[in-house]
Amino acid sequence: MLSIVLVPVLGALALPTVGRTSTKLRNLLALGLVLYSLIATMVIAGPVIRGEPAATATILSHSLILQADGLALFMAFVSALICAIIVVYSFGYISHYENQGEYYLMVTLFFGAMMGLVFSANLVFLYTFWEITAITSWRLIGFFRQRQHVVRADKAFLVTFFGALLMLLGFIQVYHQYGSFDLTVIKQGLQNQPLSNLAVLLILAGILSKSATLPFHTWLPDAGVAPSPVTALLHAALLVKIGVYVFARLFIATFVVDDFWHTVVPVVAAASALTSAGAALVETDLKRIIAYSTISQIAFIFLGLAVGSPMGIAGAMLYIMMHGLAKGGLFLCAGIVEQNAKTKDVTQLGGLLKTMPITAVSFLLCSFSIMGIPPFGGFFGKYMVMIGAVQSGHLWVTLVFLVGAFMTIVYLMRVFNLVFLGEAKGAAAREGSPTMVGSVASLAALSLVAGILIYYPSQFLQSTMLQLPGVIK
Amino acid sequence: MNDHVLLLPILIPLVAGVITLLLRPREAIALAATAFTLVLAVFLYNHDKTFSVAWAGFGMEFLLRLYHFSSFILLAATGFSLLVVLYCCSFMRDSKHPNQFYSYLLITLAFVNGAVLADNLVLMLFFWEGLLVTLFGMIALGGREGFKTATKALIIVGISDLCLMVGIGLAGHLAGTATMSKMSLPMTPLASLAFVFMMIGAISKAGSMPFHTWIPDAAVSAPLPFMAFLPASLEKLLGIYLLARISLDLFQLSAGSWISVTMMIIGSLTILLAVMMALVQKDYKKLLSYHAISQVGYMVLGIGTCVPIGIGGGLFHMINHALYKSCLFLTGGSVEKQTGTTRLEDLGGLARKMPVTFACFVIAACAISGVPPLNGFFSKELVYAGALERGSIYYIAAVLGSFFTAASFLKLGHAAYFGKQTEASKNVKEAPWPMLVPMIVIASICVLFGLYHQLPLNEFIRPILGEQRLAAQESSGNEMLIIVTVIVLALALLHHLVAAKTMGGGLHASDHIRHAPVLTKIYDHADKGRLDPYNLALAIIRGISNLAYRFDRAVDSLYNGLSVRLAYTLSRGISLAHTGNYSLYVVWALLGVAMVLAFMRMSLWQG
Repeated sequence: MLSIVLVPVLGALALPTVGRTSTKLRNLLALGLVLYSLIATMVIAGPVIRGEPAATATILSHSLILQADGLALFMAFVSALICAIIVVYSFGYISHYENQGEYYLMVTLFFGAMMGLVFSANLVFLYTFWEITAITSWRLIGFFRQRQHVVRADKAFLVTFFGALLMLLGFIQVYHQYGSFDLTVIKQGLQNQPLSNLAVLLILAGILSKSATLPFHTWLPDAGVAPSPVTALLHAALLVKIGVYVFARLFIATFVVDDFWHTVVPVVAAASALTSAGAALVETDLKRIIAYSTISQIAFIFLGLAVGSPMGIAGAMLYIMMHGLAKGGLFLCAGIVEQNAKTKDVTQLGGLLKTMPITAVSFLLCSFSIMGIPPFGGFFGKYMVMIGAVQSGHLWVTLVFLVGAFMTIVYLMRVFNLVFLGEAKGAAAREGSPTMVGSVASLAALSLVAGILIYYPSQFLQSTMLQLPGVIK
Repeated sequence: MNDHVLLLPILIPLVAGVITLLLRPREAIALAATAFTLVLAVFLYNHDKTFSVAWAGFGMEFLLRLYHFSSFILLAATGFSLLVVLYCCSFMRDSKHPNQFYSYLLITLAFVNGAVLADNLVLMLFFWEGLLVTLFGMIALGGREGFKTATKALIIVGISDLCLMVGIGLAGHLAGTATMSKMSLPMTPLASLAFVFMMIGAISKAGSMPFHTWIPDAAVSAPLPFMAFLPASLEKLLGIYLLARISLDLFQLSAGSWISVTMMIIGSLTILLAVMMALVQKDYKKLLSYHAISQVGYMVLGIGTCVPIGIGGGLFHMINHALYKSCLFLTGGSVEKQTGTTRLEDLGGLARKMPVTFACFVIAACAISGVPPLNGFFSKELVYAGALERGSIYYIAAVLGSFFTAASFLKLGHAAYFGKQTEASKNVKEAPWPMLVPMIVIASICVLFGLYHQLPLNEFIRPILGEQRLAAQESSGNEMLIIVTVIVLALALLHHLVAAKTMGGGLHASDHIRHAPVLTKIYDHADKGRLDPYNLALAIIRGISNLAYRFDRAVDSLYNGLSVRLAYTLSRGISLAHTGNYSLYVVWALLGVAMVLAFMRMSLWQG
């Protein structure tokens, strides 16, 4: 299991060197590293599905532990799957730009750190990987090196870093309270002693800043200056999911927290969902709109996790997967549009349905999934989150989210209409390269397939729910 | 017989739908698939079956249940699909994307069958909401305008489906199960909320106000068979099916509750407002589409009365409406196909040229106007009786609606089929047989259900209501009601004759209403879309968005402005200390080391 983390992390360092001899080999190697983790995750998942205890691996001493339980495996699988598709897309997208070696290094390193974070069962370890992802994403956001881009990359880094510092203080509180950073040890010695509210607040600040939730969210739309596959990677699939994952890992799978938080977090999430949905309806920059959409959908995930019922948590986990697939698809579509139409301003775009039909249809299908329309996968995530909230008695918060869901439909259709329908403005844009179009189409198809074959992920999550102590039954 | 057979009505059209998307002989495949499904539906009629398989977990089970009500809807939906497919064989011949149309049509049928058969609310929602995709696709086939309307439809129906979703979740939570046949909720305040949410989903699918405004737009821009297929028949069947299920089975709704009153008010308003809009339309299809909305009012009113006679009337009206409205749309389609237009100004004198179409139109128009002894007459009488039992105001609204319905169909028939022949209608031939057959079949069923109205009532409607409810019902064969109806119809005819004479031609028979004082202003606003609830709702959402965006920018400016400035201010003092003097830095470093050592010693002592 150690290799799932080490192979991409160490392999990433070799990528620029390999790139000197052959760019093709480097690209394939990057893909291979991600695929290795994907396959290894699936191999480990086998025994866990059959009900055997979670696999663990220790590094250096007994306190630095990697642990693969259902939660971690689900997250790792989803991340690796989406990351692999994004890397394939990058073959086409990034070939137009300089510093490709750096690009692949950073993406793969980011991915490795993400894997490490997902599997780590030690707070120090978790923090370390957390910061590696922050540094790599800082480099990736400012990839094009324009002055404004670097400023925004700094902003993203500083906001998340500030949050992470608060989180670190929270971790010290945890150590103070339980005498260990090791989550497995803490879990055994816990005896239903709830975590102090100060620690929860501090850790939550870190989580909210990483997952771009109100009031720490504005770095995310600003980070839209990054190359499109990076925005897909960071905004849709992996980076923003780190926060929600750590939320699940700490506050559901490990600690017991005050009941009070089961109300506060949904309310914060509701405010975040509404604010960002509103902003998405006003913005005119394609990638910023999708980024705001991410913020509002992340709020749905927080809602599901925070209400604490099995239905809500499972719905949130499903939504992490479905949203990752669909939103990744949207960002990659935006990348194709941006690259071929030379603009991201939706008021300057139009009529692209004719010239790039596959991208348009993929965009539409991914939008359907995010709107929560069956048979696409997003339906199940959204349904279960909302119903989980209703069942836990959060009726009013759910109604606010209902408005958020209305607005989701409205702003996504607005974008689709502006970009793909109407009169073509400016020069006719061509369809993207085969690898790019192929990867967006496969993400759209996966969104559909994941909805139709909902039995499998749902079954897996059902067994995972039994392992989590924080689930309110 | 194996219970797996229940999967077939879903799987056959679904698979056929996917195949038609890819392969050539699409008409043959579509016909074969719908015909086979129809045979199956006939075969399954009135059987009791359940089928279940594990699905998404967490109380979401793939549970299908065939029983009287669902088998009836299954039969009707499949029957209409077959007729529409047959009709399309000639109608869609020259259209741009016939394969997509057939594919969406078949997948729609599969989802409708799934929604009707589902006995688990979540499964029903899955199929129900899935219809959005094909709805969007079918309207979007209408070209550029089509996409605009499709978006509107998607937003309206999507929003009400989300309401249904919350309603289902709430109902499932209260009942402790999502299995429909096990539910029977008492009307607590929370259950009422659940009911209202589910009702929004149901009536919006049926096309009731205020969720109706995409239908007239779609009438203009979508391919015509779509109108006969979804808004006229399948969506009505589905929406009213759910409304009946929640009113009869899922909730213990009583006649005294405020919900019943709300439903009756929605029903009455829908009848009146939509028919007033229909009356002044000057386009064949658009006029029909407003009637498709208005007639839903009768069904909602009937079911909303919560008295058996009204509910029975509402359900009977549902099937009758599906019949005559799809027939009317199909006549509109053959007029459009043969003359190339549906603008009433350009039409006239078609009765001689297209006698079969005309005959079908007359039957269906009489049925919708409630002329005895056609089917629409009997179902309307039942709704009247139910409405009268609850309050005369609802009855008056319903009768007034009938008056305007009759008036607008007299106008439509007069303008299109009589009068002078125009450029467009000069050299017109009768429509080809694949288009005539469905119209004739449906028109004959209208006559059949009228002459032998006890047949559908006993066969379909009574078992749905259940013997218990019927036993409680006192026989109210009120002959006064029939007399009133006849008088109203006669008045409508008289009104039309007088108005047509004074205003000059059938087309202008409603002009005096259009230009009546007060009304004319309202109509002007309506024409400009200012009264469209969709536009109003979008304006509200836009308002919220602007507020939210301001708030968002304010938060952002805190980061960009305030925090940066704060950091500079705070660090100014420290920056003074950075003089560049190395020896000073070394001193600081040593001081720091000393402090760390001191701290370590202290903690050692304590430890």
